[in-house]
Amino acid sequence: MARVMPASVVLSDRRARLMATPLRHLDVVLIGATLALAGLGLVMVYSATQARTEQEGLSSLYYVGRQAVWVVLGLIVMTVVMAIDYRKLRDLAPFGYLGMVFLLGVVLIPGIGTAAKGSQARFQLGAFQLQPSEFAKFFLILMLAAFCAAHREHFGLRRVVTAVVIAGLPLALVLLQPDLGTALVLGAIAFAILTVAGTKGRYLAILALLVATGAVGAVRLGVLEQYQVDRLTVFIDQGDSGSGRDSQGSAYNLDQSKTAIANGGLTGTGLRQGTQTNLGFVPEQHTDFIFTAVGEELGFVGGATLLALFALVVWRTWRTARLANDFFATLACMGVIGMFAFQVFENVGMTMGIMPITGIPLPFMSYGGSSTIVSFACVGLVANIHMRRFS
Amino acid sequence: MTETSRVRVSIVGVVVLALFGALFTRLWYLQAAGGTSLAAAANENRVRVVTEPAPRGRILDANGAVLVDNRVSDVVTVDRTLEPKEREQVVDRLALVLGMSVDDIDARLDDARVSPYTPVPVAVDVAPETLVFIGEHNADFPGVSVDRRSVRQYLSDTPAAHLLGYTGEISEDELASQRVGDYELGDQIGKAGVEQSYERDLRGTPGKERLEIDAQDEVVRSLGSTKPVPGHDVQLTVDLNVQTVAEAALAEGMALARDTRNRAVDEKFETFNAPAGSAVVLDARTGSVVAMASNPTYDPNQFVDGIPTALFDAYQTPESHDPLLNRAIQGQYAPGSVFKLVTTLAALTTGQINPGTVVNDQGCIDLEVEGGVFCNAGKAQNGYVDLREALTVSSDVYFYELGRAYWQQSRRGEPNGDAIQEEARALGFGAPTGIPLSGEADGRVPDEAFKVDFNADNPDPKSKAENSVWLPGDNIQLAVGQGDLLVTPIQLASAYQTLANGGTVFTPRLASQVLDADGTVTREIAPITKATVALPPGARDALLDGLRGAVRSDGGTASSVFQGFDFDAVDVAGKTGTAEVNGKHDTSVFVAITPPDPAPGQPQYVIAVMVEEGGFGAETAAPIVRRVIEGLYGLPVAPIVMAASTVED
Repeated sequence: MARVMPASVVLSDRRARLMATPLRHLDVVLIGATLALAGLGLVMVYSATQARTEQEGLSSLYYVGRQAVWVVLGLIVMTVVMAIDYRKLRDLAPFGYLGMVFLLGVVLIPGIGTAAKGSQARFQLGAFQLQPSEFAKFFLILMLAAFCAAHREHFGLRRVVTAVVIAGLPLALVLLQPDLGTALVLGAIAFAILTVAGTKGRYLAILALLVATGAVGAVRLGVLEQYQVDRLTVFIDQGDSGSGRDSQGSAYNLDQSKTAIANGGLTGTGLRQGTQTNLGFVPEQHTDFIFTAVGEELGFVGGATLLALFALVVWRTWRTARLANDFFATLACMGVIGMFAFQVFENVGMTMGIMPITGIPLPFMSYGGSSTIVSFACVGLVANIHMRRFS
Repeated sequence: MTETSRVRVSIVGVVVLALFGALFTRLWYLQAAGGTSLAAAANENRVRVVTEPAPRGRILDANGAVLVDNRVSDVVTVDRTLEPKEREQVVDRLALVLGMSVDDIDARLDDARVSPYTPVPVAVDVAPETLVFIGEHNADFPGVSVDRRSVRQYLSDTPAAHLLGYTGEISEDELASQRVGDYELGDQIGKAGVEQSYERDLRGTPGKERLEIDAQDEVVRSLGSTKPVPGHDVQLTVDLNVQTVAEAALAEGMALARDTRNRAVDEKFETFNAPAGSAVVLDARTGSVVAMASNPTYDPNQFVDGIPTALFDAYQTPESHDPLLNRAIQGQYAPGSVFKLVTTLAALTTGQINPGTVVNDQGCIDLEVEGGVFCNAGKAQNGYVDLREALTVSSDVYFYELGRAYWQQSRRGEPNGDAIQEEARALGFGAPTGIPLSGEADGRVPDEAFKVDFNADNPDPKSKAENSVWLPGDNIQLAVGQGDLLVTPIQLASAYQTLANGGTVFTPRLASQVLDADGTVTREIAPITKATVALPPGARDALLDGLRGAVRSDGGTASSVFQGFDFDAVDVAGKTGTAEVNGKHDTSVFVAITPPDPAPGQPQYVIAVMVEEGGFGAETAAPIVRRVIEGLYGLPVAPIVMAASTVED
């Protein structure tokens, strides 16, 4: 960091001061957009669950209260991640990675991990549940970026294979739960990092082919439950009328989801006024299908604003990747982009019928602790890189 | 960062941008561009409309007597939202208690026509002890309740079944046709008769309740409701007393005919088949239907809960003789001599004859050219007869001569060649009368065009050419109401009505007014004059004289039937008809006008009776008519006697 400017002492002083206090380089746009998303998430979780809580005899603040706790936890985690120099995080990555792989293995053991909704994916911690596969995203980003950055000079076949193994290990464990959605997110992270890491085009092509084969294999070999396969395939055979078909199961889910969004129109029905939302037509609406509540109650204006906020987060991350002053930082940002972009596209896409249905949460919006905390951690990582780009 | 890395970062950026672009586009398409049908689906999702049927209006007779009412029926209903296991148990028990099969109950429960938010009726008119049993064991019958519903009630001896018709659940076809208004599957609708014709008045407006439901199909709340508006009462022109007499007389006369020897069959003892018949009574001043009977008949009360399959099948067998057919408007017959009214009016109108024209009736006429010989019934030689006499004794020869004369004129291209056909059409034959009942038959007035049309598909050119020609025999047959001529009883009564009232052709009227539930008249139904026929001077008197003679004078074709009748009290004119039907006994026909010349303000009636395979007009039809006249005027009712010395025809 020998960018001294002898011409002006004053300037040099200010410059030095600037470089010495990373907080001065805080990306307020990124943080602002993140906070806006989390805030909107709280509003929508409240709106989507208030009728449901009434039926279940819970306080109308039950879900939103818990989500608020997670947002606060997420903010703390984000702050912690920002506070530690990202290069230190890079050096610690292998430990985090190994711990995460260990947990992914342990969660598969019946009795220790908890099975819910068809997959063995959670640890029960008192009233809360921990989902190690969510945290796997964060640690994979760190580990893979660290490995690829360390070997950027000779990134030949051997390194690529090693990188694929690093990504493949947690991915395989997640698939065993089975949780295809999260596995795909891990794949997207790995693909984004490997692309920018300098992997030869043909290796990337082969990799893409392997992933496709793997996905088909997972469907064919019965790794996935039948309902998961149905959810994947139902979007291929959909009409826009929302009727005339066996409106049960997965098709029902998709029909009701699209109907809810269409019902919103330009400006939406207003908060807590969505009939599809309040009458419980959309299953999993406060979690994976939270976007339907946005679409119905806030309309195109709300939906577009939400997408714009995500685009803002992704753009700031992409910008940070370009501004970053070391390759690990760039790769880590690419991993975060891969994660956010894929999750938003897949999640919002499935509610509108342009992507198959898989259980992926919408970052900051979907009700759920692990996802919210990890999303904040990732933003923290990007902010960390951004504000230390001169140091 | 190397140049390669920079490029690849940009590539990732472009890919991500494309993904977001796709999401924006899709969102716009769903919400702003093409989302209307899906948005409507959201409302359908949430709102269910439950209808409450309105009480149907009553049907009253001319004096206000109730012909069709509603009654309350005890109905057992089952909640459709039962758990499958529970439902199975309940259905098993209900089957036992109600004496129904499990399949029948299941079929009703799975009936898609009933809204899933209303309990399904599985049994109607349940016995009180069964209701008590279910009530006492209600723990064993979860989801089962007893409901009281309004169903249609027809009088127990069911007069005028064909006229009144019946109601039933609306069919897919009726629902699809835009003819009917705001109906839903499962709704009741008039299927036949007055129930069908006056559906709009009778039905009322069903009440509707809009319910908001959630994804579990549970009712969240009511979004408002409207009360059902009861249907209006329809007051008919039919007089229950006359109707009852007409039906009884028809049934009795037909039963008697079936015990009477058909003397037209020489070689063995054979009674008349008389399987079916009909009677029509019209008020000649207004064209109103006072009575309309068709036999065999049916009991509309049996159709209240849908026509039972076994009964419906039984009605399709040949032995049942189509009891659902309203022969008064749907039966088509050759009329025989009663059609001489038309021939006479044609001849008087065209000046072919005058009332004094005399013909020497030698019993037969011989068509030298075609070689055909046409004779009176029994080849009776009536000698010199004028018009009045020809009608009284039913001299066919008198009318054969007219038929031949018109045929010759038509061959010569003279304007009056089709005089009989034209007169027939003017009097309403060959087309529906327009009585407000569905399924009315056209009848048929034959001419050369008919024969050409009838033989259009004849593959043999020679036979086609021969059969397409209107022959003198055809016109001669037509002149006496035989041949290819077909009329319905309502057309026949209507034509005589025009003679009786001096020339007015009415569209038959069935109802006089519509009343709301408070008895206030909401709609008057006036008589409809369809046309007027100019009767030539003297024609009416001459015809009525001849018809009086047929009933009253010695030698009149029906005089033996009216022996002992008090003509001083009630004047009657009438005409017998005996129509030959290939391979069957003759159709017995009689039409009466009473009185022929009413005092001002006095009602005048036309009564037409046709009995299939009932023999001569005077054998079966005329005694039935006499009985109806006695009923109309409250005269002492003479027992129906098959006249032994009936003059033939």
